[in-house]
Amino acid sequence: MNIHEYQAKKILQQYGIRIPKGGVAYTPNEAKRIAAKASRSGPWVLKAQIQSGARQKGYFLEKSAGPRGGIRLIKSRRDILRNAEQMLGSTLVTIQTGPEGKPVSRLYVEEFSKIARIFYAGIAIDRVNSALVLLVASIKNESITNIAFNHPDKILKINLDIEGDTKPEQVKQVMDFLKLPPKSARSLEILINGLHRAFIDYDASMIEINPVGVLKNGELVAVDAKISFDDNALFRHPEIAALRDDCEVSERELQAAKYKFDYREFNGSIGCIVNGDGLALAVMDMLRVKNLDTACFLNVKGGVDKDKIASGIKIIMTNPRVEGILINILGGFLRCNLIADGIIAAASEVGLNVPLVVRFEGTNKEDAREILDKSKLPIILADTMEEAVAKLAEAMEEVD
Amino acid sequence: MSIFVNKHSKVLCQGITGTQATFHIRRSLDYGTPVVGGVTPGKGGEIHLGLPVFNTVKEAKKETGANASVMYVPAPYVKSAVKEAVEAELDLVVCIADGVPVKDMLEINHMLSGSKTKFIGPNTPGIITPGEARLGIFPENIHTPGSIGIVSRSSTLTYEAVIETAEAGFGQSTVLGLGDDMLIGVDFVETLKRFHEDDATKAIIVLGRLGGTFEEVGAEFYKSLENKKPVIAFVAGNAIPFGHKMGYAGDVITKGYISTQDKKDIMQDAGMIVVDNINDISIELAKLA
Repeated sequence: MNIHEYQAKKILQQYGIRIPKGGVAYTPNEAKRIAAKASRSGPWVLKAQIQSGARQKGYFLEKSAGPRGGIRLIKSRRDILRNAEQMLGSTLVTIQTGPEGKPVSRLYVEEFSKIARIFYAGIAIDRVNSALVLLVASIKNESITNIAFNHPDKILKINLDIEGDTKPEQVKQVMDFLKLPPKSARSLEILINGLHRAFIDYDASMIEINPVGVLKNGELVAVDAKISFDDNALFRHPEIAALRDDCEVSERELQAAKYKFDYREFNGSIGCIVNGDGLALAVMDMLRVKNLDTACFLNVKGGVDKDKIASGIKIIMTNPRVEGILINILGGFLRCNLIADGIIAAASEVGLNVPLVVRFEGTNKEDAREILDKSKLPIILADTMEEAVAKLAEAMEEVD
Repeated sequence: MSIFVNKHSKVLCQGITGTQATFHIRRSLDYGTPVVGGVTPGKGGEIHLGLPVFNTVKEAKKETGANASVMYVPAPYVKSAVKEAVEAELDLVVCIADGVPVKDMLEINHMLSGSKTKFIGPNTPGIITPGEARLGIFPENIHTPGSIGIVSRSSTLTYEAVIETAEAGFGQSTVLGLGDDMLIGVDFVETLKRFHEDDATKAIIVLGRLGGTFEEVGAEFYKSLENKKPVIAFVAGNAIPFGHKMGYAGDVITKGYISTQDKKDIMQDAGMIVVDNINDISIELAKLA
């Protein structure tokens, strides 16, 4: 789960990490008031609070929002109101949001920090080594993703312990790597330990301060901040779970989450229902070979009842992008007959207007096939995954 | 022969009195799995599925001589259950639960390093040595004893590979899922090593997926082996567009972006036979016969 920048900054501030003076505003008047409090004479920064990177380079769908992006440097007081009016209620598109963009319901209004230089600092999990890694890099014009991709050697990676503080020699290593002035030492120690503790305390899966700004006096300030939390640990952090912003997720994703299904959307036309993440990937790969792209997949995982399955299938059937459906279930935990019952329940409720191919394997597959046969619904059965994909491709062509 | 488990294992079930455990342990017992007892705190002294139930793993080990455990405990309790198993010095723990917090897994892997216990999972269908032992939730009826070892990062794709071996006229020596989660215990390296030491295994199927670099590390290890058994490999995830939010964002920054094709290239370079379509595994297997 992700939270907004202003929420992440608030968490980091608890650990003594310095953030620019500011606050969150839901209305233009609020923005004006917060700006006045943050700085008497400016400049200020208005930041659209959507959960996406690259907001500055983004654009608003609405002409009324003006040509500027989702992060705006404002120099005069009267421009605050006008820009806040433009941004609030408009839709911001970035390279991460997709062409539909995300609605901006709140702004973060900050004093502008005069900074001498910037760098990236974050903590992530190194999966192969099962370790926490502190990541640090100087940033000039390139994004951290590009640096990771093109010059991975320019990122300092230090393994951190899962208990206790960052070791002083590790902080020193970062000082040297970034060639920070001695007057930044104390501030860096606070910053790194803050990231480290916040990561552990809140069961984060990734924290990034991108960028950290170095002020003239050497002090470090979190110019932006992002925290992703481990969904599986949210039960330990109800105060974090409460920060979930439903506007950030599609209606169908919300529905699926309610049943603890995994649901993902893409840009194609096929809806897939599977019981496994890897299986979903393999089905998508096979569809691609037949020039079919996936609109969405629903991973129903294991241990579910007929009603939950029916609700899941309805999510797929009611996605307007979906022009064909492929159901590929390999029953281990999950009994195929439950899926068959679910298919029929869903089809009788919302109708079946697109080709549907079903492949069952494993626990109770014969029962499941019989249930579908008896239903007289126009469902195409297949024995293997390859056959299922081929039959769907065929059926789609006939529809065309 | 086999790896990790066989008919001589002595298997405990942690969380044996739960609904899922009851369903699957009954099936495992019917399959002939040498389950010797179970552990549910507070239910020590009871008999469940004809097996003695103990309060602690330590006690269970002392009374039954158990050396392996399959746990069906819910995710939030996995860490303490593993701790018990490690302290009792079991050889193997298989964890089916999905949704184990990442921090707990970091601590579990920390606990495991330096211990004798191997941990398979979490979020795995488990491990099965056909005809001998089933620890987990595998649909046992698709398996037959034989010479192909299967190791997979994805639960359901494992079943697909089992069906492929049958198609080509083979059975399986041991089949195991490493687990679908961000962090896992036993990895490709450990498994490939064991399959190479196991006389019954003549060839190995490796199923990988986009995300993490487990396949690359496994391929590097395979490359370093002197006497290689044939490995047929498949990696799922070609169709996922770059930058899609599926997968862990931290992968990019910790390891640089690695595509499915990159993984395949590295595996091929290590000497594995890489197939683009999972249903081509049977074709490659037939060539080995």
